[in-house]
Amino acid sequence: MAIAVSHQKLTIEKIQEALRKQHYICDRSLATVIYLSITLGKPVLLEGEAGVGKTEVAKVLAEMMETKLIRLQCYEGLDANTALYEWNYPKQMLRIKLEEVYHEDRKAMETAIFTEEYLIKRPLLEAIQGDGATPPVLLIDEIDRADMEFEAFLLEVLSDFQITIPEIGTIRAKTHPYVFLTSNRTREIHDALKRRCLYHWIDYPTFEKEYEIITTKFPQLRNLLAEQICTFMQQVRQMNFYKRPGIAETLDWASALLALNRHELDEDTVEETIGCIFKYREDLHHLREEVAGKRLDLDQIRKESAELCT
Amino acid sequence: MQISDQAILQAVGRFSATRGQGLVANLLAFSRALQQVGIKVSLSQVIDAARSLTLVDIARKADFYIVLCSNLVSEKPDIALFARVFDCFWKDRIPEEFPLALVEVLTIQWEKTRGKLDDPDGSVQVVAAKAASQNSDRNQESELPSFPTYSLHEALNKKDFSEMGIEESRAMSRAILLIAAKIATQVSRRKQRAVKGEAIDLRWSMRKNVKYGGEILELVSRKRRIKKPRIILLCDVSGSMDCYSRFLIQFMYGLQNELWGVETFIFSTSLSRISHLIRTRDIEGTLERLSSRVLGWSGGTNIGSSLYTFNREFASTLVTHRTVIVIISDGWDRGDTGLLEQEMRNLKRRCYKIIWLNPLLASENYEPLCKGMQAALPHLDLLLPAHNLHSLMALGRTLQRYCQINLL
Repeated sequence: MAIAVSHQKLTIEKIQEALRKQHYICDRSLATVIYLSITLGKPVLLEGEAGVGKTEVAKVLAEMMETKLIRLQCYEGLDANTALYEWNYPKQMLRIKLEEVYHEDRKAMETAIFTEEYLIKRPLLEAIQGDGATPPVLLIDEIDRADMEFEAFLLEVLSDFQITIPEIGTIRAKTHPYVFLTSNRTREIHDALKRRCLYHWIDYPTFEKEYEIITTKFPQLRNLLAEQICTFMQQVRQMNFYKRPGIAETLDWASALLALNRHELDEDTVEETIGCIFKYREDLHHLREEVAGKRLDLDQIRKESAELCT
Repeated sequence: MQISDQAILQAVGRFSATRGQGLVANLLAFSRALQQVGIKVSLSQVIDAARSLTLVDIARKADFYIVLCSNLVSEKPDIALFARVFDCFWKDRIPEEFPLALVEVLTIQWEKTRGKLDDPDGSVQVVAAKAASQNSDRNQESELPSFPTYSLHEALNKKDFSEMGIEESRAMSRAILLIAAKIATQVSRRKQRAVKGEAIDLRWSMRKNVKYGGEILELVSRKRRIKKPRIILLCDVSGSMDCYSRFLIQFMYGLQNELWGVETFIFSTSLSRISHLIRTRDIEGTLERLSSRVLGWSGGTNIGSSLYTFNREFASTLVTHRTVIVIISDGWDRGDTGLLEQEMRNLKRRCYKIIWLNPLLASENYEPLCKGMQAALPHLDLLLPAHNLHSLMALGRTLQRYCQINLL
């Protein structure tokens, strides 16, 4: 509970404001969850479609708290050696060879080669071993990609925030790191792990939120174009695409349109930059059909946004 | 399954006894109501929710909502249901019933509880225990939910399998062997130490060479472990599948005897496990045993309740994240489609892949329009035809490609 005391001055509004300063627009519900997580010292499990800014939350939070971000990217086969620590065998071996030449005390050497100098710290150990003044943000990204064995191991680390290295002893976190787990829901996370976390589902942004996001990120973007982009994306997300574009795609697209110096969405512009939004051939084809068939009516979008702007 | 407003009202009403005794009691009643409608909530989550409530201004309904939601819900599909129960439970009670003074009381109580966990006056524990005991009393009273079945009298037809040709049966066995081999050799990403392999296991090489004073003389390498999935066959043997049952029985027999870890179930209006009946090399005897012992052969179909039984009674022990579920059915379901949908979702959560083999898929103009198939479709990894030997071999190739894409 040491954490709770040191962050008593935090409020939901302050978090929302601070994140906004880092160009991350979040709604109050997410800010509340972050606030609870910091105050209670509980990890957050963030789920949502790809590209809605799950990973970004941890990144901007690290900047906001002026602490470092430690990221652990999960994949199938990720094991304790890659996630926690490993002895630096070659270095230990070299030391032994050197000592053989100088005939040093065997005992002293044994203790010497099992010290932190010969320890390769992997993300989890690094997160736990912080100096205590500013706990780091630990981002465990795409936990659903790791296998069950790793999940069980992670559960152990997250429940005690301590790691035992047989040769050195138990390392206990002075203050709990801020832990964020993200998942794309490709498989179910085990209940025990979920129970330990606060859960938040990040949805696709609303029109207003998306507009705010792109105008915050690209202040030079004209209002008219921003309106058009958002209207377009909102409509596209209602349609039946294999991979619906997230906010990440919107930002890519906006920056592409800026780079190409376009001020309006017409058919040619969309055609040229469509690769920013859709990454599957079927989807590209589908979009062209929708545009040609006027189900996605660019003229209408331009007209609407012009009205909105005036 | 879509949960009706009625069911939510009932769930909320059921725990009214614990309500009205302060926020903690209300919170507990709320969490019980959530459990009642099928959202998994643990006591530790409720305690954290109570702690969280002391941190925010609960007079703001939106904050109050998100605090409870983030603490008590842990998966997306439950959010919508949570919102409905929330609206029903806390309707018009915010903020009148919870003035801020209550929060202070709660905070004090909470501090007290946290200070002395074994404090007999610790309100959280007391209320929790009370609610828990009430709940368990109720559980004893309540019966397991019953589900309508299509036909009360299961057809006890005795099937004659004697027409099976020996030649045909052998060709089938070979085809099944091929499929079985494809399925059996999925490669795992986890590495295993091996004398010859793809990569050097530095850690173990060092370890092994300590005996030579650290000179590297022996190398230990790693290779990918062959991951053998378990396979569970769920076979529809209802009347509508009658003309395929001869093929089905061979398929089940072949797969179970070629592969380790296959479990076989058949279902029509109810589910029976027949693994032990067909664990033998003697196919003639197998067929004999099946037709004489198994109930429900050629009866009506209730896929939903069969899956319900499977999920409740067998899934927890048999299904892991490596399990491939193969369902063989035409999807003609006379049961509750909502239940089928729900149970498919539950099953999908537990297992690695669900493959549905549908004999009707063979006809060119077939579309999965029947209700059962429609309900199951979103949860399937693969929907494949299975009506003759040829389609079976094609299935083998598909599975091979499928596994490669997903694993490498």
